[in-house]
Amino acid sequence: MNRSALLLWLDRIIAMTIKELKQLIRDPVLLLIIAYFFTADVYMAASGVTLNLHNAPIMVIDHNHSSASRELIYRFREPYFDFKGEISNKNEAENLLNTGKIVAVLDIPENFQSFLFQGKQAAVQFQVDTSNTTLGTLASGYATEITNDFGQDFVNKRLGLTDEQMDAAPVIQNRYRVLYNPNRIDSWFMSISELMTVITMLSMMLPAAAAVREKERGTIEQLAVSPLSSLQILLPKVISMGLVILLGVAFCLFVIIIPVFHLPIKGSIGLFFAITALYVFSASGIGLFIATISHTLAEVTLLVILLLFPLVLLSGAWTPPEAMPPVIRWVMTISPLYYYTEMSNAILLKGAGINIIWGSLTGLTALGGIFFFFGVWRFRRQFG
Amino acid sequence: MGETTLVSGQAVIKISGLCKSYKKKLAVDTVALTVKRGEIYGLIGPDGAGKSSLMKTIAGVMSFEQGSLEVFDVNVDSEAAAEKIKGRLGFMPQGLGLNLYGDLSVEENIDFFAQLRQVSPQQLAERKEKLLTMTWLDKFRDRPMKNLSGGMKQKLGLICTLIHEPELVILDEPTTGVDPISRRNFWAILAELLREHGITALISTAYMDEAARFHRLSLMFNGQILTSGEPDVICQQAQGYLVQLTAEPQLEALKLLKVRYPQIETIGSRIRVFVNNISPDEALKAVSGQLIGVEIKNIQVFDTYLEDAFINLLRKDPLADQSIKEAIIPCFDNPLPDNQGIAIEAKQLTRDFGKFRSVDHINFSVRQGEIFGLLGANGAGKTTAIKMLTGILPPSSGEGTVAGADMRFAGQLIKERIGYMSQAFSLYHDLTVMENIRLYASIYGINRKIIKQRLAWVMQIAGLAGVSGQLAGSLPMGIRQRLALGCALVHQPVVLFLDEPTSGVDPVGRRHFWDILVHLARVEHVAILVTTHYMSEAERCDHLALMHAGRVIADDSPANMIQALQNEAGQMLKITTDSPSEALSCLEQANIKGSGLYGRHIQLLALDTETVENQIRVLLEKHSIKLISLEARPPTLEDVFVYRVLELENRDQA
Repeated sequence: MNRSALLLWLDRIIAMTIKELKQLIRDPVLLLIIAYFFTADVYMAASGVTLNLHNAPIMVIDHNHSSASRELIYRFREPYFDFKGEISNKNEAENLLNTGKIVAVLDIPENFQSFLFQGKQAAVQFQVDTSNTTLGTLASGYATEITNDFGQDFVNKRLGLTDEQMDAAPVIQNRYRVLYNPNRIDSWFMSISELMTVITMLSMMLPAAAAVREKERGTIEQLAVSPLSSLQILLPKVISMGLVILLGVAFCLFVIIIPVFHLPIKGSIGLFFAITALYVFSASGIGLFIATISHTLAEVTLLVILLLFPLVLLSGAWTPPEAMPPVIRWVMTISPLYYYTEMSNAILLKGAGINIIWGSLTGLTALGGIFFFFGVWRFRRQFG
Repeated sequence: MGETTLVSGQAVIKISGLCKSYKKKLAVDTVALTVKRGEIYGLIGPDGAGKSSLMKTIAGVMSFEQGSLEVFDVNVDSEAAAEKIKGRLGFMPQGLGLNLYGDLSVEENIDFFAQLRQVSPQQLAERKEKLLTMTWLDKFRDRPMKNLSGGMKQKLGLICTLIHEPELVILDEPTTGVDPISRRNFWAILAELLREHGITALISTAYMDEAARFHRLSLMFNGQILTSGEPDVICQQAQGYLVQLTAEPQLEALKLLKVRYPQIETIGSRIRVFVNNISPDEALKAVSGQLIGVEIKNIQVFDTYLEDAFINLLRKDPLADQSIKEAIIPCFDNPLPDNQGIAIEAKQLTRDFGKFRSVDHINFSVRQGEIFGLLGANGAGKTTAIKMLTGILPPSSGEGTVAGADMRFAGQLIKERIGYMSQAFSLYHDLTVMENIRLYASIYGINRKIIKQRLAWVMQIAGLAGVSGQLAGSLPMGIRQRLALGCALVHQPVVLFLDEPTSGVDPVGRRHFWDILVHLARVEHVAILVTTHYMSEAERCDHLALMHAGRVIADDSPANMIQALQNEAGQMLKITTDSPSEALSCLEQANIKGSGLYGRHIQLLALDTETVENQIRVLLEKHSIKLISLEARPPTLEDVFVYRVLELENRDQA
């Protein structure tokens, strides 16, 4: 391609990109939706959703009313549990669990203290509502730990061991160190995950909507008879919408995630934006494919929703790939979001550089190229 | 019982001082109107004249601000009053099949509307049978509505509007986008139904050539009624004559005449001038006197058509006059050579969609500087043919050249040399006029050095001065159409493709549009291929091809086509009687073929006019029907179209 032909090619791309941006700016509803996703939506997800057990309401049926039982009950407290008081019978407990007013019930038998003093095994019952699996599992885990501690302390006291003697006893201490998110702040993880979902959705949605709108209006024919190639028609949509999305990401990062949730950026922001751009490009390839098979904006929207769930579920953001069945683990390797999640977590939280993420980077580049050119190819077949 | 006796003095609709506005824009401006029982009343006017708003108001679908509206002697001043009249009228909104359900079948649509109107099952069965037979839709009763052709959709819409036997039907542009044969059929059915049930109809149309079908009509513009009355009376209001001539060289003649007669147009090789306020002979003399140094080949005087009357009336309105001021049409930067070379050639071009053959081995050729018209009913294959020639759709077989390049190998080259304007005026509604033009200028790679100059050129040729900053979506149809043309011309193409470019545009706008096309063909030698449903436009082409079922069934100049029909089937007899419907049945019984009702007249083609005339006179006398007039005229292009297509359809059926 000689120089003037290249300039002409660029001119056309620029003119079409400007056109797309102008059309977007003149659509206040769409702008509002984009603004919402990059601000309020991410904020709500980060501040509202938590995966920790936090102030779980529990109640106790204390048949014993002894100093031992009171001591045990006292240990179920904030930040994990919120002791809401005593109840007298099982029916009431069941009722409260059924209606969701409390998360767990601790049932202490009549001879709890006397068994302990007699050196017999004393059992307590802990009923947990595990309709929310994560919270239920956490609640029973914490409860086990609390009762174990209580038992150990009671034994120590019975044996009359001093603190020095305790330290000298052959006990294995499990000391763990939390890396990357030392305080285990959910909002860090949540805000990044939500931001990725938003990016995924908009990267598919916006270029697809722009393409299908031309179909609905009939302007696509006008472009098809012009000297524009399919690539020149489609690439500007991806460029313009990609720019808008990157702008949204920057806004979300610097106005919401960093100032409000104090996410420390460990790695290179530039690298993060570069891989985000690459990701937007590959997700918009899926969007273009959607545009070729739908006739109206409504169809585009439904198809985006249809694809969004599997993409997010298979991304590894919610479940680590190791926990998935082998087939699904294999399917994950063709989800661009999987690579993107890996890389952005690595860059933002772990401070990884390109030397660490290059594997995922290659995967994403390959997938993006395939999706995008598949979208263009489908489009060309329709409008030759 | 004759038709005229049905029109009683009783008013069905009585309106005075009616005003209706949307926000600040006045859509209906102090309108007064009376429609009598049994009348077919027409509302004619350009897009945006206020026809739809007025009809919706009368149908009780929309409220109004000022004035009074009486329907069936009920003063419609409240929602409750509007509810009272709704059961007695039927309203069909604008748009092909917009009030119908695409996924429901023909029969299901009818049943739905009947249930809505609480028609008893017995009555429904009876009426449905009759209406379906009459509209030839009975074979398609199980077909989903969305798979019907445009004409069939309109007929189904009509059935659904009539299923509860309303006393008044209000039809908003029922024939826009429908081909001539379906249109004729539609009007015939409507006339018969109205006659049988003695109901009243208020019908709007953007097309002047349908005016003769109305008993009375009102011309609307800018929310106001310019004039009302019988079609003939309105034509006479123009107080002038049309002089039609052919002259060599045509451009020179046009230039000379334009100085004195602003109302002038080119129709193929002919020039038509409207001359005001003098007798026919004087008009002839005056026009000839103007043409010094030009060879006049043929000159004739005619009565004015409604379209001229309309434009003439508009000229009296100072506000409207501004919009029809003649604009100077600028030239191309580099004029094309006047070599009459082949610009478009189709050779055995064919396209299949699955088992359906949309275009079947068509052949035609268009020279540079020629306006070529492609005619045909909805679904005849016109759009598919254009799509193949413009390179949007690959042909299944056959070949063609466009702008000197082979369709099969040089798609890109062709795209750079052609301009294309689609049915829907494909513009970006959320971009301004200038932004639209600039976008296409960039797409077609207009050199940066000349881009400013070129943008100005487009603004001038399309007559867009003063609207450059407005959003395309906010413009009236006529201007939007010229903008679409401007965008198609931005690279000064060698060949121009126009797919139904004038549907829904007013006559003034249409004339301006055709002025530009004539300039492009005559001065710049651009080859223009245009498709249209409207015969008044087909007349303006140099050369026509008539398509039917994917094939080209006639290919000649308009004049030759008319001559051929005249040689084959004779002249058109127009019979006016005091009771047309009875007269028609007499003629049908007497086996005089091909007669049809056209407004209040009966028309038929007759080879031996004198014999048939005598036959008719005797026949009508025998049935004591009074003959008011009987005249013979040459067939029109519409007659050619209808005759040729029906001929083929009858042969296919036989």
